[in-house]
Amino acid sequence: MAFSRELIRQEKHDLHFVSSGPTLHTDLLAGAKVISRMEIAYAGIETVGSAPNIRRRVEEGRLLIEDYTNLAMAMRLYGGALGVPFMPIKSILGSDLETKTTFRSAKEKLALVECPFTRELVCLVPSINPDFGVIQAQRVDTEGNVQIDDAPASDVDGLKASDVKIVLAEEIVSPAVIRRDPKKTAVPGLMVDYIVHAPWGAWPTAMYNCYDYDHEHIKYYANKCETEEGWEQYKREWVDIGEEALMEKIAQKMKTLKARKGLGY
Amino acid sequence: MAKKYTNQELMVICGARLIWDGAVVFAGTGLPVIVSMLAQHTRAPNAKIVYEGGNIDAKNKDLPISVSDPRLMLNCAAALDIRATLGEILQGGYVDIGFIGGAQIDHYGNVNSTVIGKYRRPKIRLPGSGGANDIASLAKNTFIISKLEKRKFVKCDYITSPGHLKGGNSRQKAGLRGNGPKYIITDLCVFDFDPRSKKARIKSLHPGVTKKMVLKNMRWRPIVPWKIPQTKPPTKEELKILREKVDPRKIYLKG
Repeated sequence: MAFSRELIRQEKHDLHFVSSGPTLHTDLLAGAKVISRMEIAYAGIETVGSAPNIRRRVEEGRLLIEDYTNLAMAMRLYGGALGVPFMPIKSILGSDLETKTTFRSAKEKLALVECPFTRELVCLVPSINPDFGVIQAQRVDTEGNVQIDDAPASDVDGLKASDVKIVLAEEIVSPAVIRRDPKKTAVPGLMVDYIVHAPWGAWPTAMYNCYDYDHEHIKYYANKCETEEGWEQYKREWVDIGEEALMEKIAQKMKTLKARKGLGY
Repeated sequence: MAKKYTNQELMVICGARLIWDGAVVFAGTGLPVIVSMLAQHTRAPNAKIVYEGGNIDAKNKDLPISVSDPRLMLNCAAALDIRATLGEILQGGYVDIGFIGGAQIDHYGNVNSTVIGKYRRPKIRLPGSGGANDIASLAKNTFIISKLEKRKFVKCDYITSPGHLKGGNSRQKAGLRGNGPKYIITDLCVFDFDPRSKKARIKSLHPGVTKKMVLKNMRWRPIVPWKIPQTKPPTKEELKILREKVDPRKIYLKG
């Protein structure tokens, strides 16, 4: 979230976004027209419903989405991380995801082939190597070793697939902390290019062991962004003000959102 | 006597009753989350629930608001990633029941959750597949849950998640592994599928619902057997657990 807010402040535009099931932060990027193309599986805000800005930008024709599935995107990123050109999966077959495309040609999107060994039909999805990979984690050490305490969805695959790897973390620790529990390391530091100390950087989404969702704010956001004017106002009040001012603004709230010991949320 | 429950509550309870004990359930986002949790708290205490974000065999205390909510971490057996859940567990053939929702559902149980209108320039852009296509492609059985409405039970503008495709054996021909949709659970009735044609068929009508009411709320015609059993109304215990234990803050239950 913090990274997306900063991309907006720096007025980046026309970026090509790749992920499996991103949440709120992509909706901000769509609102500010930072991104114009996406290859994703899911563009909504769970329990709230549709992602309002993504929805509006697509309906305006300003944002193109190439639809894949969560498995397909995770495998495409994993393929990128492994350095192989494609990965086989057994979903997508028979659905409209197989045949319908937006900005890629059908040939570039995927390929249906017969397995050379078993003659079974499989769907090949092209690997991806994004220029930049950005994730937010619980902790990283000064050598770039990243530890993630919960289920990472496809964050780790996405980071490993990317050329430039940027890790935002709640906490920057000494290497001794990581080396005491190396099984928890999701990405070794030798792969990582940049680390950023960004406490509360995932707000208003949740960070396990650190803070819970700010569900109230997410609902407020979704409501507000139903209209262009609402989004503009949100952007002024919650993005343009800068990360420091934002942290001050939510300082009171942090007390209630802070994760409780024994629960992690 | 006034009805002591909402149609949505009955729909959720119906879904939970169809989950058998010991089943491995892949819960998609939305209502499948509370259906699976209710099943776990009632007749299927040994159901193993998998969430695509990576949480496996979840026995969470509090209701998650997403399928990658930190609430799912508490007490789960494993916290892996999408490749493990949708890849190794689902594609690997472990999932008995894949539970999904959707915006449009056709008479072969194909589901749309991507766009209303034309794909390239849609009237309404919806969230998209997420893991739903994977679940519908690969689970041994797919359960679909949705309100029965005229705008939803139509020919799909876009097939996000494959059901029985064009019926008959078209699903196997496409190279899909799972058996496809087994039930569509709605707020007025439950559908199953004719074993040969794979067309949706009314399986049971909820209390007070007639065939006519069902047909009035959909644009395609299901198979309507001459005699249709009535769905058992929710028990006090089911309602109590759903309201007090599963979704006390009414995050999913909207009345």
